[in-house]
Amino acid sequence: MSRAAHNSLADDLLRPVLHSSRAFYITAAILGTIVLCGLSTWFYQIYYGIGVTGDNWPVFWGFHETNFVFWIGISHAGTLISAILRIVNATWRRPVTRCAEVITAFALMIGAMFPLIHLGRPWLAWWLIPYPSERGLWPNYRSPLVWDFFAINTYLLSSLLFLALPAIPDMALIRDRTKGWRRTLYGKLSLGWQGTPKQWHRLESAMHLMALAIIPIAVSVHTIVSFDFSMAVVPMWHSTIFGPYFVAGAIFSGIAALNIVMAVIRKLLHLEKYLQPVHFQNLGKLMLAMSLLWGYFVFNERLVTWYGNTTHEMTALWSTQMGRYSPLFWTMVFCNFILPFPLLTIKRLRSITSTVVASCGVVVGMWIERFLIIVPSLSYKSMPYSWGSYMPRWPEIVILASSFAAMGLLYLLFSKFIPIISIWEMKVGEHPEIQIAAQVQEAEAAGELT
Amino acid sequence: MPHHWGMAVDLDRCTGCEACVVACHAENNIATVGDSEAARGRAMHWIRVERYWEGEFPEVKVKFRPVFCQQCDNAPCEPVCPTYASAHSEEGLNAQIYNRCIGTRYCANACTYNVRFFNFYPPAWEKPLHLQLNPDVSVREGGVMEKCTFCVQRINAAEVAAGMQKRTLMDGEIQPACVQSCTANALVFGDLNDPESAVSKLAESPRGTKLLEELGTKPKVTYLLKESWHESRGA
Amino acid sequence: MDRRDFLKITAASGASATLASCGNPEHSMVRFIPEEELSGGVAVWKPSICPLCPAGCGMLVRVMDGEAEVIRNGKKGTIQMGLAKKLEGNPNHPISQGKLCVRGQAAIQVTYHPDRIIHPLKRSGARGTGPFQEITWDEAMSMLVSQLNGLAASGNQKAAVFLTKPMRDQRQTLISEFSSRFGASVPVTFDPLGDHVLRRANARSFGYDQLPTFDIGRSRYVLSFGADFLGTWNSPVTQSIGYGDMRQGKLQDQPAKRGKFVQFEARMSQTGANADEWIPVNPGTEGVLALGLAHVIMKAGLRKPEAVGAAGSQIAGWPGLADYAPEEVEKRTGVKAERVKRIAKEFANNGPAIAIIGGSPLAHTNGMFGALAVNALNALIGNAGAGNGESPMGFMRQPKPNADQNRHFESFIADAAQNNERVKVLLLHEANPVYGSPPAWRVRETLSKIPFIASFGSFIDETSILADLILPDHSFLESWVDHIAESGDSGPVIGLAPPAMHALHQTRAMPDVLLDASRKLAKPLGPPMPWKSYEEMLKASVEAVDPSKDAWKSAQQLGGVMPPANVSLPAPQTTRGGSPLSYSEPQFDGDAGQFPFHFLPFQSQAFLDGSLAHLPWLQELPDVLTTAMWSSWVELNPQTAARLGIAAGDTIEVSSNHGNLQSPAVISPGIAPNIIAMPMGQGHETFTRFASGRGANPISILAPMTEPETGSLAWAATRVRVAKVQSPSKSKLILFAGSLREHPEDIGR
Ligand SMILES: Nc1nc2c(c(=O)[nH]1)N[C@H]1C(S)=C(S)[C@@H](COP(=O)(O)OP(=O)(O)OC[C@H]3O[C@@H](n4cnc5c(=O)[nH]c(N)nc54)[C@H](O)[C@@H]3O)O[C@H]1N2
Ligand SMILES: Nc1nc2c(c(=O)[nH]1)N[C@H]1C(S)=C(S)[C@@H](COP(=O)(O)OP(=O)(O)OC[C@H]3O[C@@H](n4cnc5c(=O)[nH]c(N)nc54)[C@H](O)[C@@H]3O)O[C@H]1N2
Ligand code: SF4
Ligand code: SF4
Ligand code: SF4
Ligand code: SF4
Ligand code: SF4
Ligand SMILES: [Mo]
Repeated sequence: MSRAAHNSLADDLLRPVLHSSRAFYITAAILGTIVLCGLSTWFYQIYYGIGVTGDNWPVFWGFHETNFVFWIGISHAGTLISAILRIVNATWRRPVTRCAEVITAFALMIGAMFPLIHLGRPWLAWWLIPYPSERGLWPNYRSPLVWDFFAINTYLLSSLLFLALPAIPDMALIRDRTKGWRRTLYGKLSLGWQGTPKQWHRLESAMHLMALAIIPIAVSVHTIVSFDFSMAVVPMWHSTIFGPYFVAGAIFSGIAALNIVMAVIRKLLHLEKYLQPVHFQNLGKLMLAMSLLWGYFVFNERLVTWYGNTTHEMTALWSTQMGRYSPLFWTMVFCNFILPFPLLTIKRLRSITSTVVASCGVVVGMWIERFLIIVPSLSYKSMPYSWGSYMPRWPEIVILASSFAAMGLLYLLFSKFIPIISIWEMKVGEHPEIQIAAQVQEAEAAGELT
Repeated sequence: MPHHWGMAVDLDRCTGCEACVVACHAENNIATVGDSEAARGRAMHWIRVERYWEGEFPEVKVKFRPVFCQQCDNAPCEPVCPTYASAHSEEGLNAQIYNRCIGTRYCANACTYNVRFFNFYPPAWEKPLHLQLNPDVSVREGGVMEKCTFCVQRINAAEVAAGMQKRTLMDGEIQPACVQSCTANALVFGDLNDPESAVSKLAESPRGTKLLEELGTKPKVTYLLKESWHESRGA
Repeated sequence: MDRRDFLKITAASGASATLASCGNPEHSMVRFIPEEELSGGVAVWKPSICPLCPAGCGMLVRVMDGEAEVIRNGKKGTIQMGLAKKLEGNPNHPISQGKLCVRGQAAIQVTYHPDRIIHPLKRSGARGTGPFQEITWDEAMSMLVSQLNGLAASGNQKAAVFLTKPMRDQRQTLISEFSSRFGASVPVTFDPLGDHVLRRANARSFGYDQLPTFDIGRSRYVLSFGADFLGTWNSPVTQSIGYGDMRQGKLQDQPAKRGKFVQFEARMSQTGANADEWIPVNPGTEGVLALGLAHVIMKAGLRKPEAVGAAGSQIAGWPGLADYAPEEVEKRTGVKAERVKRIAKEFANNGPAIAIIGGSPLAHTNGMFGALAVNALNALIGNAGAGNGESPMGFMRQPKPNADQNRHFESFIADAAQNNERVKVLLLHEANPVYGSPPAWRVRETLSKIPFIASFGSFIDETSILADLILPDHSFLESWVDHIAESGDSGPVIGLAPPAMHALHQTRAMPDVLLDASRKLAKPLGPPMPWKSYEEMLKASVEAVDPSKDAWKSAQQLGGVMPPANVSLPAPQTTRGGSPLSYSEPQFDGDAGQFPFHFLPFQSQAFLDGSLAHLPWLQELPDVLTTAMWSSWVELNPQTAARLGIAAGDTIEVSSNHGNLQSPAVISPGIAPNIIAMPMGQGHETFTRFASGRGANPISILAPMTEPETGSLAWAATRVRVAKVQSPSKSKLILFAGSLREHPEDIGR
């Protein structure tokens, strides 16, 4: 490959950072408006009270908590997948990793908003923070919500690091290629990156360590989120399977989200050359595997409940199989299983479009899954007199919609900030014979790669 | 030994009169939420009289069961609360400390008895209904969880009074509002650590059961089952 | 003593000092700056009496200091005053014995109601449309007095008449005395749901024109014919206390043999829900059933018919009761012959036993027969003619002969409607006949013709909205209160209490307004009223019963003049006689083909006849059987509902010959297939923000059927048809509970 080709790769990938089209501004404005609507709705909710939602006695949790679990689940696409792919050194990962890591960062930020949004007195949320006060008022370390606080913050921090580290060389690239404020800004952000072998070496080892560390963190985060439910003696919540079940679901929905995001940026940023069918195919295979695993957990969970046949659990179970919540349940089964299965298995049907269709199904299906974990169980707790039901009201729907818009908006803005495909990793990828990035740089510098 | 407050509910006495329900509202500043909020399932009744139909017409029976916080000794609502707003007191009460509640509603989900109620909106008393409010009980603000406290303000007052008179509390001296009002004397309150108290004795009754005991919550309320009538039995 | 205790003690003495004074609040100055610091948290308990139903439970009021916004002498300000905080039963009072029913617990909201009338009002728009204008008490008094003067000047004093709710206090005496001295007509009592039939039957059977008292706690077998004695009927608090003891003995005592309770009724009431056996009976055949039981008892030789005395002689065919063999009874009542036999024997063999009749069985055209039959059954079992205190039923001693001298509303309104009686001035006191009367009585039209109506009520309701002048009364907590109990104890029980708190608003006590008016009349009353104030009148009444020196003082402290302990309950007498009555089929309004269902309105646990629908606690109280809040509903049997294609919560239309109404359906396993039942209380057009425009009023479709001997409204004698409404105008059924059953078979499916 020629040097020109290299420059064209960098040009292609840097173009979105350096130039913004009208379409970008329009999209950003639309998404921004939706996000603003969501924020105003949140302030409306704070002003008037949680009463503006559909929450009630006994269904004290509804859309907000569903969104929380959903977005934390989505966040598992990125960092976790990219870490695994890095460790197993799957070369096709190269154009995918950053796309994925960005999803993680923003999905976590959005997800972490919901514990605040759902509070009755959100202005007191800081009471969850442990700090030494003279009254000795610590948070309750026995509460899974406090565990959430730690888990999510740890994951968010490490994911940001995981995203930031491999971005350094690209920021240095921008620094080198621009003038004016960009040069200053990226100069600061690239932390004095010169691409010396020592720096390359350190980056590589740091990434390796981070990849190793972030896998258990990611697994633990959704396990802990699952503890929010499984630690309570609520029918169908109190289950030992919830940890892996939630993690599997999280990765499942995360891959789906990644597919969709990749397809969108591929079109919008004209990255067809870099995000190729093979990437979608491979991620599709992974998603298929997760679909099977997820399906197994759902079946297992339900079989054990059914076989155990305790009154209270059966009530909650039947409400999703044949009762009030069954339309949602069967929609979920369709979206998460029946739809993706043929699309991802039958060779003839496999394409980018079909993977995206399947992924859209999975995202919807996994949102419903989170809803079905929370709401039916609360509707049918152990005292039949206090059974109830739940219907969302407009503030919850607006906030849900705006969480998706926020994802889009943040993503869009991010793509203006750092190339959404890692340029240096792509370069390494194009020269599989050179395994170490440092060597690429050296070779490039020596003009060997012409 | 500290007190360990408990209750007994004699289902053979309870008539479903619901005097206890309104008494609790009056004593504990529980807000009425109005029709549209009640329709959303947000009415707050710290004590409710559950009614279960059994059988079909004409062989139909009704079971009444007053349900309020069971003051679980192993309360599922406590560990989940991130701010210790739902906490255990030395006297075995599940205290709800309104000041500390940030409104996660987690405790209400965890409570197997569904006896926790949330102020979805700031409660309001149309003037001058507010003049009825009991100054011994804090008025909760919007976004705060609340529930039966075993009328802790009455317990505290009695303990202060007994302390001032340098004597111990007598059995039956403390009457939570529902117990005080119960027309059929179906509710009995007292110290489970005092083996001679009426409630301790009732807790030993062969008719005694606990609600959802199998879940391991260790409730402190004993329900004495309804008996059936036998012509030959008794005096 | 630590600092905390010291604070408590000083606070306690401060509070009792501020609470000690009880003067004439409307004349007191506004203290804009409180002299003392507020000392919340220290309570004083003061006696009072529950005004919400005729039982008259004695209560204690917890009074604590607080700040209230008031208007005094035209100025707005905040004063520190003793405020009622909580009502509890008065343990010294033999009727309440320290307890109050659900309504009594809520009575405090009457005082603090946001829609209370807080100053005198003069009508300022077309009559009945609502606009009123604030006036001063001076103006109000002169309006009232000039109306009365006008009548006196034309010698037409008879054209003035008082219309009141049933009262058992000295206000009643005061109104009668005023009426007779002024020359007004005999005061009229509005009490269409009252137990006149039973009183009359008791007079015939037992020599007491009075409601009976039951010692349920001592009874081992209780048979109730439709009486909601644990909820709304007679003296529910006393009866509920007794019921608890009947089940499990007095608290702390060794439990006695557990008593049995059998309820006969077509729709399960709160009381019936507690029965060991709940047995549906065809409406209007309760008397047949009672005599069927008597038949079996006599035939089996379990009791001798001779012991029955007068009670038996009221029944044609007594003692043989040949027409009431169990098989015959089964045909009429629907209760299986075998069951009749078994229950009769259990009843006779498990004394002490009582039979109670109340509620809808008395509200049929043949209600008198039912009452006499149950009385005979009680007599047969040995409850009459026993020594005082031996029988588990009896009639409470009264301080003076218990005679109802007022005129009943039924006859008054009939005369007024036909202009046989030309009323010029109507003085309305806490009665709401426009809401509570069947449409055929044409109450609104008739009252609207009266040139001047003055109301003493505290709320604008369907009747008081017709008033030209409103002279708002104090609430019971702000007034001197008294009550003479009719039943519930051996008696006599005279409840009495001074005001528990100062008046909150610019209201005046009705008796004092009346006394004031009597002094202001142009032509002085015949002999002037002998009392200067109601307080004085009450003092005189207490001294008449108990002349001892501290009687008055102790009555105020105790909350009344209580009977000495261990007085036995006077047993029913067996000395009187009367002409025997035989069974007649109940008559129903409406053709059975066109109107296939019996319509059974019932007094609601929360609102009784509807007079309490304005209290938010009671509105939000889940009805114990249906768990409905803030709504009205129609109950029907699951089979009936299935046949008519009605699902729970559907709006249905209930129609009689006299009107129709719409309400959501509640499908209940506790109601016979041929019955449509509906609670009273909702359906107010005008009755505060909490009750207005909510639900439907079953009385609005009742037929004007009557029980012939007393002329009382037979409110259970209307037939109806029901149909599902496709497009409901308004329908809201708000339920508290999620599930009807503890182990639903169709869980979630
Ligand atoms: N776990 C738990 N959480 C709770 C509660 C609980 O009981 N348990 N209670 C809740 C309640 S009711 C409250 S009010 C909050 C209180 O929560 P905080 O307001 O956090 O109360 P503190 O921690 O006592 O005080 C805050 C800080 O103020 C500092 N400080 C003290 N004096 C001054 C001063 O003069 N100036 C300045 N600038 N700082 C000062 C103290 O050193 C301390 O670090 O906690 C709530 N959260
Ligand atoms: N030394 C010291 N004093 C302080 C403070 C401090 O930090 N240090 N903080 C100040 C602040 S910010 C606050 S908010 C106040 C808090 O002061 P308080 O409100 O007095 O707080 P607690 O002592 O936690 O609770 C008071 C009583 O409420 C009772 N209680 C427990 N559970 C319940 C319940 O469910 N219902 C009812 N009705 N009562 C219950 C308990 O018996 C307890 O004794 O303290 C203030 N005073
Ligand atoms: S009954 Fe519910 S609220 Fe009460 S202690 Fe138990 S878990 Fe907590
Ligand atoms: S709602 Fe309040 S009491 Fe309940 S868990 Fe949350 S903070 Fe604790
Ligand atoms: S103990 Fe007190 S707070 Fe609890 S239900 Fe009874 S009255 Fe209400
Ligand atoms: S007051 Fe007593 S008898 Fe009445 S419903 Fe409550 S517990 Fe039952
Ligand atoms: S029975 Fe209830 S409503 Fe009637 S007087 Fe007694 S407390 Fe009041
Ligand atoms: Mo505080």
